Amino acid sequence: MSVEKRKRNYSEMEKERIFEREFLPHIGSMYNFAYRLTFDEDDAKDLVQETYLKAYRFLNSFQQGTNAKAWLFRILKNSFINDFRKKSKQPSKVDYQEVEAFYNSDSVDVSMTTDLRVETVQHMIGDEISTALNALAVDFRTVIILCDLEGFTYEEMAKILDIPIGTVRSRLHRARNLLREKLHTYAKSMGYNK
Amino acid sequence: MATNPLGWIKQKLFGQISCQRCSELMQLMTDGQASAAEEKEFNKHIYDCLPCYETYQLDKSIKEMLRTKLEKKQVPDDLIESIRKKIRDTA
Repeated sequence: MSVEKRKRNYSEMEKERIFEREFLPHIGSMYNFAYRLTFDEDDAKDLVQETYLKAYRFLNSFQQGTNAKAWLFRILKNSFINDFRKKSKQPSKVDYQEVEAFYNSDSVDVSMTTDLRVETVQHMIGDEISTALNALAVDFRTVIILCDLEGFTYEEMAKILDIPIGTVRSRLHRARNLLREKLHTYAKSMGYNK
Repeated sequence: MATNPLGWIKQKLFGQISCQRCSELMQLMTDGQASAAEEKEFNKHIYDCLPCYETYQLDKSIKEMLRTKLEKKQVPDDLIESIRKKIRDTA
């Protein structure tokens, strides 16, 4: 562990190599993660840029050959929480109220959630699934993105989010229940079930 | 569990896991992080428990839909160059 924390002193050439070969290949995942946090293309762009600049500035804290993607995601998530969320007028950019009002339009019966059928989910289109995911609070949305879209392990997620693995698992469990509820309510409102 | 009286009986008679324990394992299974022993324990339970089996199928399909159907945004063309330039400027 102490080895991991030790700062390195990379030469300029090494820095450039790490940056180009280990960091930049993840830009697609980073941009999509940023977009799903901010719901805005320009904000996502700024957030990714800020993340990469920080990653370069703190490159000596990165150990070559370790998980660069998790390291970058951690910086992005922290930038989003510490700097970005405060600066941006994020809530007004997506009309949360509209989304919430839609989902709450007829009372959500939690016990009916299991009525959601596999075939119903399979027939849904990307936009419908996306709307359900985007309607989740950011912490729940984040664990689903990290786990289901990006394929991080619980251990990696714990490091990215700075929370114990047990919390990762319980948060993920809750997030999935909420997502199922949203999908079920949506399916019902569209007359998909039955 | 009340939803599965047969499961409850099997639990008592044959030492099978409860639906609650199954739900914990289900997460590990869905995410491909269960050990061989956990997988065995899980499969033994869902073989007999329809509600857990169905929930598992649903969880797997939602995960699959998230992975395959969500639109992936293209990285803006100028982003990488703009990052490189900023780094050069500050170096």
